Amino acid sequence: MRRILLGLGLLLIAGSAGAQHHHGGGAPEAFTATPAFAPDGTLWLVRAMADRIVVAKSSDLGRSFSQPVAVTPEPLKLDWGPDARPHIAADAKGDLVVTFAIFQDQRFNGRAFFARSTDKGASFSRPQPITADSTSQRFETVAIDPAGRVFAAWLDKRNIAAARAAGRGYPGAALAYAWSDDGGGSFGNTGIALDNTCECCRLGVSFAGPGRPAIVFRNIFDTSVRDHALITFKDAATPGPLKRVSIDDWKLEACPHHGPSLAVAPDGSQHVAWFTDGRARKGLFYARADSAEGPFGEPRALSSPDRQPARPYVLTADRAIHLVWKEFDGAKAVVRWQVSPDGGRSWSATRTVADTTDASDHPLLVAHAGRAYLSWLTKAQGYRLIPLEDQP
Amino acid sequence: MRLSILLALLLALASPGNAEAGSPLPFERGSWAKLRAEHAGQPTVIHLWGLTCGPCLVELPYRGKLVAERHDLKLVLIAADPVPQDSERVEAMLKNAGLGDSESFSFTDRFYERLRYEIDPAWAGELPRTVLIDRDGKTTVLVGVADLGQVRAWLDAQSKSPR
Repeated sequence: MRRILLGLGLLLIAGSAGAQHHHGGGAPEAFTATPAFAPDGTLWLVRAMADRIVVAKSSDLGRSFSQPVAVTPEPLKLDWGPDARPHIAADAKGDLVVTFAIFQDQRFNGRAFFARSTDKGASFSRPQPITADSTSQRFETVAIDPAGRVFAAWLDKRNIAAARAAGRGYPGAALAYAWSDDGGGSFGNTGIALDNTCECCRLGVSFAGPGRPAIVFRNIFDTSVRDHALITFKDAATPGPLKRVSIDDWKLEACPHHGPSLAVAPDGSQHVAWFTDGRARKGLFYARADSAEGPFGEPRALSSPDRQPARPYVLTADRAIHLVWKEFDGAKAVVRWQVSPDGGRSWSATRTVADTTDASDHPLLVAHAGRAYLSWLTKAQGYRLIPLEDQP
Repeated sequence: MRLSILLALLLALASPGNAEAGSPLPFERGSWAKLRAEHAGQPTVIHLWGLTCGPCLVELPYRGKLVAERHDLKLVLIAADPVPQDSERVEAMLKNAGLGDSESFSFTDRFYERLRYEIDPAWAGELPRTVLIDRDGKTTVLVGVADLGQVRAWLDAQSKSPR
């Protein structure tokens, strides 16, 4: 009996120690670094810190960085969503545009902002909302088209109110866009390219030519199938038809937080990489289309689903097409890499180009002077820029 | 007699501790193996959910009802958000759903790839997700919002199976 009592006493001690409040998880924080090369070869990096956005530059391909400059003058509740990140673009003059989003409330309604630097990143203009409507914007991205015009796209919930007033539901969010005609000093009217796309995944943006953005996104087909689609603009104000990337049949009433990536090659061919957990296929996939009008070919699996393949990124550099993604090998998170010399028709064997034993951002690709680089922020090793060869 | 009074006293002392069980414990590297060992031989339902998962929040109160209804249910809740969440919000959400007394964990390690891998290498992080673990350690995974009728039927089967 005494033994039972002793046992109970131990249980109590263990129980109370084990049940203590855990205060380790405070407000969620973003952990991202997004790169862009300026035409002069300066690497610009925008980072989401706990409550502010900062920009730093490197003139030696990421070996050293300048003191970070704050883009946001006061603390903000940044969008810390697992697929959200600030973006930066540098134009031919060396002017910079930064975009980022904040959370307006605890229901994940966001507000997207932009800020510009015309003094080579020494200071930034006070961030302004990217659009007048205040309903919700997230997953904003900024890019400069081949003619030097600044383009922004994001996911926007403005059309929910009208749908509700008409007694209808409104799944997802709209794919919205705007152009800037003054190098990112201001943005023009917001256009809606498509309603009811998936509301919680990053966009992939590339250009089919001047004034012709191509955007890949997770769409909502048949009310709840979250498969990927692409829109190529016919001209700056005319979004083209919806082109489905593949029929994965991922029926889901939730957020995958896992968006696609797109590269348009100089020959007009389109290259998409994405994650799905659909009935037709599961894991990471790549597919190519010969042109903006042509259909996508058969998806090619990039890994096996038991290695948690995730966060694919595709980019063209010179004539090569590069593809990276993240996997977990049981101990380390690794970045895997493939390269195609012939417009995505054939691919190299897969190679590991970086690894880490702790948390990491998504692997990203960035190119300058025909050379592609892996851009990867890790908790253990910090930020790394790793050059990729034209062949493994 | 004195012994039973002492036992009752000890159990009464224990109850505030149980009420505290709703505070999520940090789920870190190695937590899964520890949890499995602690529940070895007991049929256990693991519910993976997240504050950032809309359908999970809709489903949670139904889990709370099931806990109230089935005293044979050993439920462990794991908030598996890919970005660590405020533990006080996790706790409040569970309390509102009638799950304040259930054993509960929350991902606090940002290396979520590793945490997921330890739970199931083939799990890419989709929520909600239910893992039914029987007495022999055999697991059955229910992907997405679970049919609680299926969970009830599984519990019935466990109580019939030989100990």
